[in-house]
Amino acid sequence: MSGCALNEKEFFSCCQLLLQQSEHLRDGWSWEAVQGSEEGYLRKTVLRSVVADCCDAQKQKEAASQQERTQVKLEQRDGGDEDDAVCMLSEGSSHVLQYEYHILYSCSYSAPVLYFRAFTLEGRSLMLEDVWSSVHPNFRHCLQNSPLTAITQQEHPLLGQPFFMLHPCRTEEFMRPVLQEAQEQPRPVNYVLLWLSVVGPVVGLDVPLKYCTQLHPSSPSSSEPD
Amino acid sequence: MADDKDVLRDVWFGRIPTCFTLNQDEVTEREAEAYYLLLPRVSYLTLVTDKVKKHFLKVMRAEDVEEMWFEYEGTPLKWHYPIGVLFDLHASNSVLPWSITVHFKNFPDQDLLHCPSSSVIEAHFMSSIKEADALKHKSQVVNDMQKKDHKQLWMGLQNDKFDQFWAMNRKLMEYPTEEGGFRYIPFRIYQAMSDRPFIQKLFRPVSPEGNAYTLGDLLKEMYPAAITNDGEQKRYQVVIHGIEPLLETPLQWLSEHLSHPDNFLHICVVPTPSD
Repeated sequence: MSGCALNEKEFFSCCQLLLQQSEHLRDGWSWEAVQGSEEGYLRKTVLRSVVADCCDAQKQKEAASQQERTQVKLEQRDGGDEDDAVCMLSEGSSHVLQYEYHILYSCSYSAPVLYFRAFTLEGRSLMLEDVWSSVHPNFRHCLQNSPLTAITQQEHPLLGQPFFMLHPCRTEEFMRPVLQEAQEQPRPVNYVLLWLSVVGPVVGLDVPLKYCTQLHPSSPSSSEPD
Repeated sequence: MADDKDVLRDVWFGRIPTCFTLNQDEVTEREAEAYYLLLPRVSYLTLVTDKVKKHFLKVMRAEDVEEMWFEYEGTPLKWHYPIGVLFDLHASNSVLPWSITVHFKNFPDQDLLHCPSSSVIEAHFMSSIKEADALKHKSQVVNDMQKKDHKQLWMGLQNDKFDQFWAMNRKLMEYPTEEGGFRYIPFRIYQAMSDRPFIQKLFRPVSPEGNAYTLGDLLKEMYPAAITNDGEQKRYQVVIHGIEPLLETPLQWLSEHLSHPDNFLHICVVPTPSD
């Protein structure tokens, strides 16, 4: 691996390795190929149940002025983080949201990029404001102040549809210290898995620890120096 | 070269005469007249259509108005693509003025990005510039600029100020002489009848032997179907800013002179019109 950048071939092999582990762990990732070429992306769909909370007066005013938009509170299945209380227009009901995550390769930034979108089961897409409330409060503050790592709505480069994207231009920056450390005590590193374990939780995507403890001794190291 | 500077001006001041008509299904208090406007090729729909919105709002009630969006012959128009690209891709061989339908309801959120404010357009524009510089200079030039320099690029576009824009943009067009060009060329190839929105890959402007690659070389690598072989009938037109540059044109020159203000070379491949 040249420096802390990732080339497309390396991206592909890291993804295939992640895929093998995902199948073993039944974590739900799949590879979507583009027209039978090596080009493609990783994809995973997650269902999340959302619990309506009691209405907070300020949020109620906001919701009313936004016509059809609703804000949702997300509760993780493992007990929930503390999020700001927001309200649903229909109180007391529980809703299921479908989140779809895609991992693509950016040749401009030599890095993986995370795209995602969310729908209600009726097929209504979530807006950016709705999505912000699913970002862990610890991250919300720093993402909002740093536009280059912000979540923005973008056109999916392969599908052409609107998705949310976590901006990749700072990836090399935050991957560098981790990668350098891994390279010093040579141990095999899956760049994509490592990257995902950093950015995934920011947007509610968990990466189970078992991915790291479940390394097969016989599988090739996914990143080797050039 | 004086000639080359003229090209920069011609690109910047390119205009498309457009006729905006309100969608028939919109609820109006009286009949809406069409609105005519000259659209800058290098700008974005949502940046230059405030007057269009004001015009139609005069005949509508506030409760019937949601986010404005545009459509041409049934295709929602992506505001985040430069206007000239939308025209070349969808309407290049149709009669002028370009007829665009205006909508205020039923926003197609599976096709279009939302555009709630001009800061979203600015963020998108700056993001393209940064991505282009990542390809050209490993982001070194854009990162060396100050916030006010970035702002100058945006203000230049927003206010149609060629000199203000290029005073800053010329830095993004420089390269070390010994390299012969940028590291990679920022480009996107669009095809109207494709699931894939565009082709964008790494491509160097200069070969390892030091020869300049041409537009033809790029297409041969990225979209060979666009090139007509000897003896074949020409199936496709390769259009940049409404013209068909010679395939022998050096790619580096095209990148420096025919890029959009976002620093990308936007190339449209459209079927040759059958007369």
